[in-house]
Amino acid sequence: MNPWPLIRAALARYRWSALAFILLVAAGVALSVALVSQERALRSGSARAADRFDLIVAAPGSRTDSLLASVFLRPGNSQLLSPAFSAALLNDTRGSFVSPLAFGDSHHGQPVVGVTAALVDHLSGGLAEGRGFAIRTEAVVGAASALKVGEHFHPAHGVHHNGEAHGGDDGLDAHEVEITVVGRMKPTGSPWDRAVMVPVELVWETHNLPAGHAPTSTQLGPPFDQAFTPGIPAAVVRTANLAEAYKLRRAYTGRESMAFFPAEALIQLYSVLGDIRQLMSLLAVVTQALVLLSIIASVFILFRLLTPQFVTLRALGAPRRFVFVVAWGFTASLMIVGIVAGLLGGFGLSFGISWWLAKAIGISLQPQLGWEEVLMASVLLVVGLVLAVLPAWRLQRLSLAGALKDY
Amino acid sequence: MKPTLEAVAVSTTFSDAGGGRISALDKVDARFLRGQLSVIVGPSGSGKSTLLHALAGIVVPDEGRVVSGTVDLSTLDEARRDAWRLTHCGMVFQDFRLIDELDALANTLLPAQFMHLRVPAALRQRAQSLLTEFGLPVRSGPVARLSRGEQQRVALARAMLLDPPILLADEATASLDAENGQRIADALLAVARTGKTVIAVTHDDKLAALADQRIMLKAGRVVVPEQVQR
Repeated sequence: MNPWPLIRAALARYRWSALAFILLVAAGVALSVALVSQERALRSGSARAADRFDLIVAAPGSRTDSLLASVFLRPGNSQLLSPAFSAALLNDTRGSFVSPLAFGDSHHGQPVVGVTAALVDHLSGGLAEGRGFAIRTEAVVGAASALKVGEHFHPAHGVHHNGEAHGGDDGLDAHEVEITVVGRMKPTGSPWDRAVMVPVELVWETHNLPAGHAPTSTQLGPPFDQAFTPGIPAAVVRTANLAEAYKLRRAYTGRESMAFFPAEALIQLYSVLGDIRQLMSLLAVVTQALVLLSIIASVFILFRLLTPQFVTLRALGAPRRFVFVVAWGFTASLMIVGIVAGLLGGFGLSFGISWWLAKAIGISLQPQLGWEEVLMASVLLVVGLVLAVLPAWRLQRLSLAGALKDY
Repeated sequence: MKPTLEAVAVSTTFSDAGGGRISALDKVDARFLRGQLSVIVGPSGSGKSTLLHALAGIVVPDEGRVVSGTVDLSTLDEARRDAWRLTHCGMVFQDFRLIDELDALANTLLPAQFMHLRVPAALRQRAQSLLTEFGLPVRSGPVARLSRGEQQRVALARAMLLDPPILLADEATASLDAENGQRIADALLAVARTGKTVIAVTHDDKLAALADQRIMLKAGRVVVPEQVQR
């Protein structure tokens, strides 16, 4: 048997209703798919962004705040480590290097971060263009920065996350110092791609703090002079191996400081993210169930309108199973097209959200269609196809003799 | 001559709204021969359509038998009656009952879709021949755009697709103008003359006038079985 010409005819007859059903199903599926896909992309993107930060040492407080400040360059009101402790930490030679993080300035929405050359080199894995900074008024920019190598700029006081107009070259809260861009990092897929890295000594100096070395010194990087080292909000410690990392983590976990692996804080964030996702997934499932049920109810009504055609088929000699397959195929077609469109639409939506998030927070997200989304759509499809049996079953059970009189 | 289709003392009843039983056919005997056009006439509610449906195996009589050759339709289950109807009976309805969105060829091929995933070339060719024979374009666009007369001819082509020995027509001319009605009546007679058994329920005097046999029903009973001699 070939029910397709009749299914196609029924779809053509009720094309606007069919389109509305498909859009309803697609919207429900797309939201769920985008939710799951985006959450996974966010997890892997944030994990990738944090990958190059072995150990973070900060003043005791919220790990999440410290993580957001150091890895994702979203500094809040975190405490500073004491100057003496900061100097000892920065001069610790047990790790491969220790780099302070000094926030507080920006340029056209791009954070200007005070670091050491070792951190720039480590994050970038070799520069894409130019060279590392050699004097205090030089900077290396992230891969996505609008600043070009050779360009000069004045950093502004204050951190501006959204790229809105601010001080700096427009004259508001501008520091007098002029900085020259001398290098560009390779892409890291993290907010550091939009950052401007300057010697930490410059940030301290422009904020009227001791610059880590004797006032007459032009030295960059360690060792830092304990007498001239200010308190820092956080430092990144690079270690040669895991055992060393654990040793330093233990060493810097105490009354004066906390040390943690970024993954530890990320897990806490993921837990919250997971809870939100579970709640939203539940809402999405309930929405999808309601959509499916409303479609099935509407199909019952549509089939009342199509009954004369089905009665004709039976009168011409079509077996009940043919009528069943046509009726089921009609609803199944709506479900299949809606769910496939929802899968693709959800993937597209996830891409859109990733693009927006990358623009907003700088994390490079790579959404993919995973088994979870495909499984979810498959389960929905199976439920839809099973529910589609109901109107088809009712229709094929019509008494032909009675229906011929009525229709 | 042995009848192609025969109703033997067929009685049927229907339930009314109050749960009572209403007699639709009462011991109806009728014989339909190969090569003849038979008409079933009578006032509305006399049981004409019920008799036609009984002859098509759609309605199973409460009593009596409907026999086609050696097959007693009354003893067949629904699936077998469906299969018998598909291969032995072509049906034409007053309101054509075409699928508006399909073209003339697709409508004509409809009975073949019940049996085949891909319509055999021979059946496709037969459908095209039938449409040409009835003066219809093979590729017409949706049949809803055809005139009513053309639509009924498409319905006739559909009924003839599987070359059934019996053609049943239920008020096939009732919704047509005089010219198209006459054309369908002539077509039914022509089909009968090819050796088919054609049975038509009608109020149309012109169609009745062409018939070889007229069966008049009144209140579910055969009043005047009439064999017209030509």
